[in-house]
Amino acid sequence: MNIDKLKRRDFLKIMGWSGVGTTLAGCDLPTTVTEEEGKETVTSYLAPEEFVIPGVGVYYATTCQECSAGCGVHGRVREGRVLKLEGNPDSPINRSKLCQMGQSGVQTHYNPDRVEKPMIRKGDALTEATWGEALELLDSKTGSSSGLQGNRFAWMTQSVSGHQAVLLNAHLEALGSQNHFVHETIHNAGWQQVSHDMLGDANPRLRFDKAKLILSFGTDFLGTWVSPVHFATEYGHFRTSPRGVLIQVEPKMTLTGANADLWLANRPGTEGAVALGIANGLVTKYHKDISGLPGEIQQLIKSYDLKRVEDISGMSGEHIMRVVDMLNKHSPSLVLAGASAEGYEHGYESVAAVMLLNIILGNVGTTIESSGAFPFPQLVAKTGNTSDLLAFAKAVDDQGLDVVFIHGANPVYTAPDALGLKEKLKKVPFKVSFTSFMDETAAQADLVLPMASYLEDWGTHVVAYQAGTGIIGIQQPLMEKIYPETRGFGDVMIALLKMRNAKAYSQYDDYYAYLRDAFAALPSSLKMQAGSEKEFWNQTLQQGFLDVGRTKASLTAKIVNINLPEYAQNADYPYHLVPSARLGLWDGRHANLPWLQEAPDQISKVVWDAWVELHPRTASKLGVKEGDLIRIASASGSIEAKVYIYKGIHPDAVGVPLGQGHEEYGRYAKGRGVNPLKILDPVTDKKTGELASHATRVQLAKLDKPHDSLVRFGGSETQVGRKIVATITADQYERVEGGSDHVA
Amino acid sequence: MSVTQNSSLVCSSSREVGTEVLRFHKNPLLFILCLAVFVAALVSFPVVVRAEVPNAIPPVGTYDGEDVKQPIEFPHYIHADINKINCMYCHTYARRSKVAGIPPTSKCMGCHSIIATDKPRIKKLTEYWEKHEPPPWKKVHDVPDFVHFTHEKHLRRFVFDNPGMKVENVSEVCAFCHGEVKKMTVAHKVKPLTMGFCRRCHEANNGPHDCWKCHK
Repeated sequence: MNIDKLKRRDFLKIMGWSGVGTTLAGCDLPTTVTEEEGKETVTSYLAPEEFVIPGVGVYYATTCQECSAGCGVHGRVREGRVLKLEGNPDSPINRSKLCQMGQSGVQTHYNPDRVEKPMIRKGDALTEATWGEALELLDSKTGSSSGLQGNRFAWMTQSVSGHQAVLLNAHLEALGSQNHFVHETIHNAGWQQVSHDMLGDANPRLRFDKAKLILSFGTDFLGTWVSPVHFATEYGHFRTSPRGVLIQVEPKMTLTGANADLWLANRPGTEGAVALGIANGLVTKYHKDISGLPGEIQQLIKSYDLKRVEDISGMSGEHIMRVVDMLNKHSPSLVLAGASAEGYEHGYESVAAVMLLNIILGNVGTTIESSGAFPFPQLVAKTGNTSDLLAFAKAVDDQGLDVVFIHGANPVYTAPDALGLKEKLKKVPFKVSFTSFMDETAAQADLVLPMASYLEDWGTHVVAYQAGTGIIGIQQPLMEKIYPETRGFGDVMIALLKMRNAKAYSQYDDYYAYLRDAFAALPSSLKMQAGSEKEFWNQTLQQGFLDVGRTKASLTAKIVNINLPEYAQNADYPYHLVPSARLGLWDGRHANLPWLQEAPDQISKVVWDAWVELHPRTASKLGVKEGDLIRIASASGSIEAKVYIYKGIHPDAVGVPLGQGHEEYGRYAKGRGVNPLKILDPVTDKKTGELASHATRVQLAKLDKPHDSLVRFGGSETQVGRKIVATITADQYERVEGGSDHVA
Repeated sequence: MSVTQNSSLVCSSSREVGTEVLRFHKNPLLFILCLAVFVAALVSFPVVVRAEVPNAIPPVGTYDGEDVKQPIEFPHYIHADINKINCMYCHTYARRSKVAGIPPTSKCMGCHSIIATDKPRIKKLTEYWEKHEPPPWKKVHDVPDFVHFTHEKHLRRFVFDNPGMKVENVSEVCAFCHGEVKKMTVAHKVKPLTMGFCRRCHEANNGPHDCWKCHK
């Protein structure tokens, strides 16, 4: 048959018949669907435990380590392999839920880019070594005979808690050093500082369930703030019977913002002024009593009248008054401040203005309660921040450090280029990286110690924010180590301590022995349910955590001085850079997990890439369309990325996601997208010393490069009239459903 | 196509046999004649009378697999045929799990630390045991990863929840998919284990027909 003359109908006929033929014959073709015999080895157990049945999963409890929220996890283990992670139903933190980062824990564990053996720097290159050589090197540099003493030594870690923190402190003490830098890029240090100063509790308990309205200034509590899975459940309670109202004020829409009833874009950095303007509205329109506040604060609130706040924030007076009306109507409320309020030179003052609203509205003691005290303070998490990153960079620059141990943090990636950490780190003669992956910092280390994954290791975790409970989360190995040359963090800590204080730690063969000892030393009141020490330990492992309770306490209300600067334009750099974090890639630590690269950004739906988010008005001003390359330049550097256009951003703001732009960190992360942290100006919050992450001003320039498409799900922001999700206007809803109580 | 045709022939012939049974009651002569033919067949061919699996129509299809070299030439016939050890004594996971499981080495040693310790195969087994290593058996029967096959459900259907079926005869059910392993030394693949093979059996025995029952 001449293929040119083949008609469509004939083609379909042929395809139909050949399809039937393939279907009938295909079911019996052994070469295509069966497995070849004798190729694969099937290993039996030598002598299995009685409860082990191949093919049937056994569940073990442990604690998630993908962020510092400390969610409880149940891992399904089959044939000695962990296959699937789910939330622990008993955990008061996540109550059986688990986010996509937690689910991806297995990809951290089975990642093909794990560091498998210790590595020692020889010249420019890291070469594989044995643990014997590594420990010998460590002993010569940090052991008793090394002469290392005092602040010449430092630990640089992520948030750390539990008995790992105890051992870490003991190690610092043994060396006589106070240098423990705890670094997290995604943190709430500003909120903690203000809460501590104004309420007397750095991590007060937030009662979402009691609040009828939440006003959030850029707090992405459903995505990246403190304990997202915990807050998502709390949010569920808040949204049901009666339905609470969520108002979000932020320059770039977050996941939480996308869930809000009313989303308002303010000019970046004006959150404090908006909060004071709302306070002003409450006083002038609803005569809220502020006579208890100090005179200067009363004056301050009076000075932020509607006109002034409109000018500063760029928000309409109507919108601001709508927030005021709703706050008055729905009581009690809860007002929160997040990264986009904290990230400025005046971040502390903005958060203080937000907390002031809570005080004026009577939320303190109602929806904000004291979390009480944890009975074992030495176990409570040291939460990370960026002021420690700056302090670390300074210590490195001052050549004040001889030896640095780095665990969990990746400062070379997360530090702005302006700090010059990448080059300056060379000034530290001996850098040790405790890591599972060859990240940017490990690549610079003189000694790389391969760590067991968290699913292979022991640990205890006490998170800083605990909602009314006091639990020690237990981390236990779910399976044997994949790579026998990796070691648990606690095991290495014991080895390090033995180098300094052999006598005190010689009784512990490993970290497990230390933990058993520590749990044996717990007060017997905690062991009432168990018949024996062994039973107590097994019960604790089975549950995945130990509830040790909290003492009750109450909050104080102290007003701090608030001094907000006037908003200033910058002619050279007219736009504000908003580095946006998301539940997924987080601060970049999960860029090496394909599942999370593949999971689209919750707002832009982009996969496997970074982008520049612009308001349609800004885009048309620049003459760019989606996929066009533009350069974002700050005073400290520039990056290039593709444009994504969306209405959920202030026209003065430019959003660039965190997480991509890795120069190292394995096959899935390396050389993909850009890292906005690199071009941040080294500006700090004057009160807290935190890096002002949102204070960088930038200029934009369209690049004369060929247009390329941005790979993302969807392709349209609207339903194009297809009514996939039916909607009605608020007016219609009120008419049909009656009353306006349900409507924000 | 040829296999498909074969299967339809088998199906129709089995139906004819069913109608024959009904006629025996009407015509005793026919019954005697059939019995005579059956006895003659037994005498002329030394065929072992196989135990019946009630309420089951065995799957149809053959396959000539490769001879797989195993670390120890395990004699299934000594265990299952001569000594009449039930398949599920060693493959104990079959009734509990999706996989039948290769027996743990400890199970072998349970007997063979006493029995036949002088035989070369047992000496080899003991060597593995003393090294704390299970023998590296090679897989003979396998289905692709996108097929969810479970031994447990099949044993429940054909053995445990099957009225009139004796657990002692379980090897007849195993033989549906594995052939007469009790006549073999090491297992040899004699059934195709293709989707067509599975489907024909599911049709004949009214097994589940949903795609997702096997492809989840």
